Amino acid sequence: MHKSRTVWAAAAGLTGIALAVTGCSTGSSSNSASTASSGGKVTLKVQTFNEFGYADLFTEYMKDHPNVTIVSDKAAKSDDARASVKNSIATSTVTDDIVAADVDWMPELLKSSDFFADVKTTDNAKRWPDWKMAQATDASGKLIGLGTDSGPQGVCYRKDLFQKAGLPTDRAQVATLLGGSSATWDQYFATGQKFMAANTGAAWFDSLGALAQVANNQQAEPFESKSDDSITVGKSDSNASKVFTMLTSHTDQSAHLAQWTDDWTKAFASDKFATVMCPAWMTQIIAGDAPDQKNWDIADVLPGGSSNWGGSFLLVPAKGKNVTEAKALADWLTAPAQAAKVFVKFGNFPSQTDAVKDATVTAKTDTYFNNAPTGQIFSNRFSAVSKQPYRGSHYFDINDQFGKALTRVDVDKTDNAAASWQKFLDAVKQLG
Amino acid sequence: MVTITELPTRPRDVRPRRRIGMRQRLGRWDVKVSPYLYISPFFVLFAITGLFPLLYTAVVSLHKWNLLTGEGPFVGLKNYVDVLHQPFFWKALRNTFSIFALSTIPQIIIALVIAAVLNANLRARTFWRMGVLVPYVVAPVAVAMIFGQIFSDQSGMMNAILSKVGISPVGWHSNVLASHLAIANMVNYRWTGYNTLVILAAMQAIPNLIFVIITSTIGGLQIFDEPTMFDQQNSATTAGGADGQFVTVTMYLYQLGWGSQNNLGRSAAVAWLLFLVILAISLVNYWFTNRIASDSGAVRRARKVRS
Repeated sequence: MHKSRTVWAAAAGLTGIALAVTGCSTGSSSNSASTASSGGKVTLKVQTFNEFGYADLFTEYMKDHPNVTIVSDKAAKSDDARASVKNSIATSTVTDDIVAADVDWMPELLKSSDFFADVKTTDNAKRWPDWKMAQATDASGKLIGLGTDSGPQGVCYRKDLFQKAGLPTDRAQVATLLGGSSATWDQYFATGQKFMAANTGAAWFDSLGALAQVANNQQAEPFESKSDDSITVGKSDSNASKVFTMLTSHTDQSAHLAQWTDDWTKAFASDKFATVMCPAWMTQIIAGDAPDQKNWDIADVLPGGSSNWGGSFLLVPAKGKNVTEAKALADWLTAPAQAAKVFVKFGNFPSQTDAVKDATVTAKTDTYFNNAPTGQIFSNRFSAVSKQPYRGSHYFDINDQFGKALTRVDVDKTDNAAASWQKFLDAVKQLG
Repeated sequence: MVTITELPTRPRDVRPRRRIGMRQRLGRWDVKVSPYLYISPFFVLFAITGLFPLLYTAVVSLHKWNLLTGEGPFVGLKNYVDVLHQPFFWKALRNTFSIFALSTIPQIIIALVIAAVLNANLRARTFWRMGVLVPYVVAPVAVAMIFGQIFSDQSGMMNAILSKVGISPVGWHSNVLASHLAIANMVNYRWTGYNTLVILAAMQAIPNLIFVIITSTIGGLQIFDEPTMFDQQNSATTAGGADGQFVTVTMYLYQLGWGSQNNLGRSAAVAWLLFLVILAISLVNYWFTNRIASDSGAVRRARKVRS
């Protein structure tokens, strides 16, 4: 909350907008933060967020390239990093030689693909599977981002709660129980019904919103038509309405705990739900939130087949002062060998085809998950991912509204499914 | 008596007289211009950080304008019409006023009482005065964590206490009024101490206490941080509750312009609408304080008589 002495401070509050758009309209020239001094010495500023696990790699790279100094510019929150990238596009200023971006930001960054350098080389053109490259490729085929990690999904489950409910507890048996390689949502919910009937006191999953993330990503065109980018959710038999109906008819199996809330975080330690959709990075979150809960395990299976959730890219602003050096560094950081090292030490699962098959990756086990071979499991889950849902101009706004529509029914219980769906359609109509 | 013979002497007088004239003129300029020079830093700064953005925002609000791709065609008042037709905007306005009222009124009462106490001849006065400012310097992340724990819907401390006294748990994130109360608590925690010091200063130096109180709290209409922090499951670009229970006008403004819509045009329109609301309230405030502030009014009347 701002405090202002006079009403005019309100005007000052608008400064941000105007400064952002001013820079944009005047097309001011870039002023890179990096300084290319004489003698071929370059300083490269790399903006990341959360934990990319690059500290050791930076040291290694600087040792091999004595002329390069790398400055790590780590944002406190991914939100801050996103705002910083967007403001730098809006004002046409380059503050970092390399910027990291989450896959969720890519559609809007791709619309300003001119701002970024083409990072594809003959060497890295086959480094990632097609769906990963498609996330960073603009309409003209220009690749603006080098893939770092990925989020292939399995199912994390509680052995003790499964046992209580009379279900198998071995991870191979659990995978078979949920349908193995032909796992469907029907089978997942049918098993959930069995689990609920056993009255363990726990729910089957955390929230509808968490499942929606998977179910929507499995649609080829979740909210918009690939052919003309038009919004399709309003049609009576749209993919979105099918997913919504499927999910809301199983509200009784939900623990009503929205992801990322305090309640949800605490629930991993207690007996609130038995399964959770588990992208590779989720294993670190569970282990961090419930270090003393020894019953979490992970099964090599996913309702509806396969899905990837999350993953990031490294981008190089085209107007930076050291584009060539920055590209070389970004290329090296995202090469399979480095990605494998990051996974082994930090657990960020790679997105590079060769890294996923790397022996050090597949050999990794996780003591927290009862020594589950997480490297091999996620490698399998990664190979199963084949398609990338179409994400049009309004994807993230609609996705956000879709999540809120489920939260209203499932967590807040302020609306029934029909009323909440209507509110969802109204909100989508208001998007400009 | 002036005679013709005296005339030739005049040119000799010209130089000193001119020097006097120059000095006088400089003196006159000094009197006329210097005051403006002295106050000019404020106006120059204001023009750069206040007036220019204000006018530029008005220009943006009349265009289709994307944050990333820039200026689009002139659309007149379309952005304003769009925004005013969105139920979400009215929800945000309602929430803003509701949270404002729930936080400001108790805050001012408490701050007045504390300020009155601090104004008395206390022992270790500076210690107490510094003490009230402590919550103000607590890192927002810590505030978010503390209040997140207290107001969690299922595992929160507040609901645990309520259930002890036989009250059923409150949906702090789903119930409109409950969410406003929780956020108002957060606001009060952070800002009561600050306002106490402002009021204390007013008690000791400035006669027009009410004017100080109103002007120091009206900025509360720009509330953004606390409701954003209160929504744990969403980022700043989507926060505010699943049904917009606690989205505020500035949050809405930010989400339009910096969320994935990147709709700076509409965002600017919301900014101007908020500006007009604050302006209207300020005018009422101005009129109101002038009416009741008898002492400064007396001074003005006295001045008028003298001139």
